[in-house]
Amino acid sequence: MKKLYIAAALLSLLGLADALYLTIEHVTGQSVKCTITSGCSEVLSSPYAVVAGFPLAAIGAAAYFTVFSLATLAAFGYRAAGTLLTPLISAMFFVSLWLIYLQAFVIREFCQYCLLSAAITTTLLVIIVVGRFVLKPASV
Amino acid sequence: MKRILPFIIILVVLGAALGSAWYLTRTIPASQTPAQPAQAPSSQTTPAQQPVVNKGVPGAEPAHTLGPANAPIQLEEFGDFQCPPCGMFHPILEQMHEEFGDRLRITFREYPLPTHQHALAAASAAEAAGIQGKFWEMHDLLYEHQDEWKEQFDVRPIFERYAKQAGVDVERYKRDLGGDLVAQRIFQDGRRGHSLGVQGTPTVFMNGREVPFENLQADKLRLVIQKELQAAGSSK
Repeated sequence: MKKLYIAAALLSLLGLADALYLTIEHVTGQSVKCTITSGCSEVLSSPYAVVAGFPLAAIGAAAYFTVFSLATLAAFGYRAAGTLLTPLISAMFFVSLWLIYLQAFVIREFCQYCLLSAAITTTLLVIIVVGRFVLKPASV
Repeated sequence: MKRILPFIIILVVLGAALGSAWYLTRTIPASQTPAQPAQAPSSQTTPAQQPVVNKGVPGAEPAHTLGPANAPIQLEEFGDFQCPPCGMFHPILEQMHEEFGDRLRITFREYPLPTHQHALAAASAAEAAGIQGKFWEMHDLLYEHQDEWKEQFDVRPIFERYAKQAGVDVERYKRDLGGDLVAQRIFQDGRRGHSLGVQGTPTVFMNGREVPFENLQADKLRLVIQKELQAAGSSK
């Protein structure tokens, strides 16, 4: 079980880096605005990329950081942290599904870093599900 | 010690994340916003905080403008009709035009980006309509129907439809499309943009200074304009 928490922690670091990159792109207008050199992304410049005035990517970064923190604590034996992981990652997964739907059917363009994040979140969910329901025993 | 270690790890990661975010968002804008290039080629040493847009090379004349020439707020937009954020900015600019009326003068400069397949065709279409005095009608149609044409293979018939809707003589429009004047105007606007260091679209200048991209939302832009009006001595 501890190994799964460590895996989750490392994976969420990757997610954090990805989300941070997207946040920086958003804030600096780098790929939100259309530039001569790097073009622009429909996804990142869509109204869905902002939630209550915050870049969605920043919210994602905060979520990944929280997962990282909880997974780290859980790996060191803090059980409560471990239990919180399941609802958080589940929520992130459903948000990812919604964002993929938006990209596929509403915006009709994909953003690769966004897809990477979705893949990371899905993998995190698999890890947590395996930990909770497969390796279940008392250690969780 | 083992009980504290996880917290230390978490704090380190937090610090690294915030630190890199701060660092990377600080340095990049310096090269994006043309605070310096606006004074560039003839390189006089004017203070960096107040780049003056007059130093740019003139664009196509007569420019496409809305509003009185002596309006206290002069907004100049470099736009690409195929650019999604430009399309999203269009209603915001319209709203500002409605709210501020005669205190605002809007100028549009063609800045079609090479990454957009039909951007040049759209700019040409707008300029050709402009020759017959229907620039803004065409501009509005192009921006408002962006989604309908940007992924089409052949946009010419679509633009001809818009031209007709805008009220131009379509045969004359078609001739002007291929003429020198349209190409020249787009070239001149592009040259002005390059001289100002415009890197992308939409890029908006207000009274000579670039409005940061993140301020191009309705509520923020309104505030920016109001502040400028106060500074210029009028009040809302």
